Amino acid sequence: MMIGRRIFILQKRSFTSVRRFLCPYTSQAPNPNPSPAQGSASFRSAGSRSSILHFNVPYIAVNRSFFSSHAVADLPVGGIVDVPLAQTGEGIAECELLKWFVQEGDQIEEFQPICEVQSDKATIEITSRYKGKVAQILYVPGDIVKVGETLLKIVVEEAQVSTYVLENPTPTQEGLKNIKPCDSELTKNDICGVLSTPAVRNLAKQHGVDLNDVKGTGKDGRILKEDVLQYAFQKGSIKDPSASLTSASRRQFLGGEEDHPHPSGEVLGSYEDKTVPLRGFQRTMVKSMSMAAKVPHFHYVDEINCDALVELKSSFQNTNSDPDVKHTFLPTLIKSLSMALSKYPLMNSCFNEELLEVILKGSHNIGIAMATPSGLVVPNIKNVQSLSILEITKELSRLQLLALDNKLNPADICGGTLTLSNIGAIGGKFGSPLLNLPEVSIIAIGRIQKVPQFTDDGNIYPASIMTVNIGADHRVLDGATVARFCGEWKQFIEKPELLMLHMK
Amino acid sequence: MGNPGKIGVPMMNLVRLKGVPILQQLHLEERLLRTSSHNWCIINDATNQPTIVMGVSGKPAELLEIESVLCDQIPVVRRFTGGGTVLVDPGTIFVTFICNKDAVAGVQPYPQPIMSWSGALYNKVFQGIGDFHLRENDYVFGDRKFGGNAQSITKNRWIHHTSFLWDYEFRNMAYLKLPARVPEYRLARGHLEFICRMKDYLSRSVFIDRTIEAAKTHFSVRSTDLEAIETTANTKFCPSTRLLTMQELEAAAKFASQSKVSLTQSFSL
Repeated sequence: MMIGRRIFILQKRSFTSVRRFLCPYTSQAPNPNPSPAQGSASFRSAGSRSSILHFNVPYIAVNRSFFSSHAVADLPVGGIVDVPLAQTGEGIAECELLKWFVQEGDQIEEFQPICEVQSDKATIEITSRYKGKVAQILYVPGDIVKVGETLLKIVVEEAQVSTYVLENPTPTQEGLKNIKPCDSELTKNDICGVLSTPAVRNLAKQHGVDLNDVKGTGKDGRILKEDVLQYAFQKGSIKDPSASLTSASRRQFLGGEEDHPHPSGEVLGSYEDKTVPLRGFQRTMVKSMSMAAKVPHFHYVDEINCDALVELKSSFQNTNSDPDVKHTFLPTLIKSLSMALSKYPLMNSCFNEELLEVILKGSHNIGIAMATPSGLVVPNIKNVQSLSILEITKELSRLQLLALDNKLNPADICGGTLTLSNIGAIGGKFGSPLLNLPEVSIIAIGRIQKVPQFTDDGNIYPASIMTVNIGADHRVLDGATVARFCGEWKQFIEKPELLMLHMK
Repeated sequence: MGNPGKIGVPMMNLVRLKGVPILQQLHLEERLLRTSSHNWCIINDATNQPTIVMGVSGKPAELLEIESVLCDQIPVVRRFTGGGTVLVDPGTIFVTFICNKDAVAGVQPYPQPIMSWSGALYNKVFQGIGDFHLRENDYVFGDRKFGGNAQSITKNRWIHHTSFLWDYEFRNMAYLKLPARVPEYRLARGHLEFICRMKDYLSRSVFIDRTIEAAKTHFSVRSTDLEAIETTANTKFCPSTRLLTMQELEAAAKFASQSKVSLTQSFSL
């Protein structure tokens, strides 16, 4: 029994899921410097080369394995590190600060306990990821601290590389050594005060580039991979930056940037084996995908004629007088999805394996996978059943902007009941998505492509066709239910006027 | 730190107590958590007198009917673990696990994994006896709670302790207020519809024996007695678990009645 003031559990989840996303978004280099609350993820896809991908939609932050009792910090700039309250358990968005073990001015060691917090039934000691001096304490005992908010600021020593996002508890010393720079040039780049990720610094090192000489085109003057490659090309270090860029950006789209550089052969010019320890979201993804793999999935694939949808979108755009609103296909797809869910609530449910219970969720909180500079996130639009298409458009835009800025709230990321994965943004015909547990269904939609179709009398006409792949938990859903649900959804997309029949 | 006993299975010291005051039990637990490097299972079959035990940041004014508590002189303890408020008495059985963070394979030292692990352990205990589940953070038969949990997680160790409602007295309910936050599965049920007695399912000795057997599936369990622990105790250790003073409770009572007054006044404006 908890006091309301202290705890706020948003939603309990039985499983973690980290998934791959897709969204028509971003060509920016991801920033592997996410704040835990947004659960940015940088992680990779399983099969990056084939056109049929094994889809893992990324999803973060408020999930079970996504927690740490190590206060994870932002990339140090000028030596001061903001140390946020890391996720300490699934569904937990806030903790009460109970006491500090340190005070301003104290010298602290790595892994030293710095404070104690309480979340629900547990008191938890939070340890420091860094060695340094406590510069500023931002909360007092009794305060409620949201996950992701800065607890304290530490002056870190030079050459400490902030590379972890959220990860397993207590990284070993060895693990840390793998990431620490072991080269004086890289150290120089670390402490020069330029904004750049470890991957970019490593790339700079490979090309003999001093980051101080490179002009950053990213946010806040951040130096991106492209900036380094461009500079190196101009310097004559590499022949063709666009080839490297293509492979780099392809990797970004496919899996996001990670703490460790994954240079392609053409950039490195070396063919040696490289061991990459899995950290942060990638490590969590190993666990969550393993758990998702235990769920018997089946996939249902269908094609949807989007001619009417294309026309509808044009109509919305042409009559749009609000410069802040940009109409895309997604909101209509989302609203029609919700309409179909009303008829097939089992698709919008959560499965509790322990109790052998299915919870039919009342709200349609549709998660939309997005790419952000920090990686992949799946924020969800709450209560789609009660929103108009215009409201969905605005909410989607709000979430996208927050995601890009790495400012999503835990509330935006928790509580999803079904996930929509827009693989079409990247390419390929369709994906084979894995469930975002404990949801029981996930929908991957491919690109709308103009293809020839035949009329009954053998004439050819063009049609805009979108392929969808619905992944479903076969313990809860059967083929017939999913097929009927898909048919219902398809009807609303192919004949949007039917939405008016259900308009209230 | 793993104390391997049988090959690959860590050692666990079992301490069986009977009727030990809850404050003494909590002091022992806190000391073992913070100063020992071994794994422990403590079972206290009943406590000597009715005592209210609040979680680490419990506020008496919000949680207790302080006037009744003061009138009947019920001791109030604030423990070192999180969680809610319970009234414990001779009808309560306590089971505590204190482990090193790597002691249980596959269980990460965080609230939910530990809670799940404990649910699986007690599943074995109650196999064939009742419709046992871990529901949110409670142990239930069907949808009625009979066990409440609390935890504390330190850098290298964790404690998960449970108070089991083997039997209860109806009149003791009167000392506790309905908490502001209740688990979802409680729905709108009153206290008596929400809880159940473990004695309706099995005897104390069967429960304790089965719990020890279940612990043996994860650990190599060996019995230790209290005296052995006390003699090797770290006398410098000062537990944070404590009895609230009369003054603190009276101040809380005053605060509670002042809040009531100002609330009434604001409504009447």
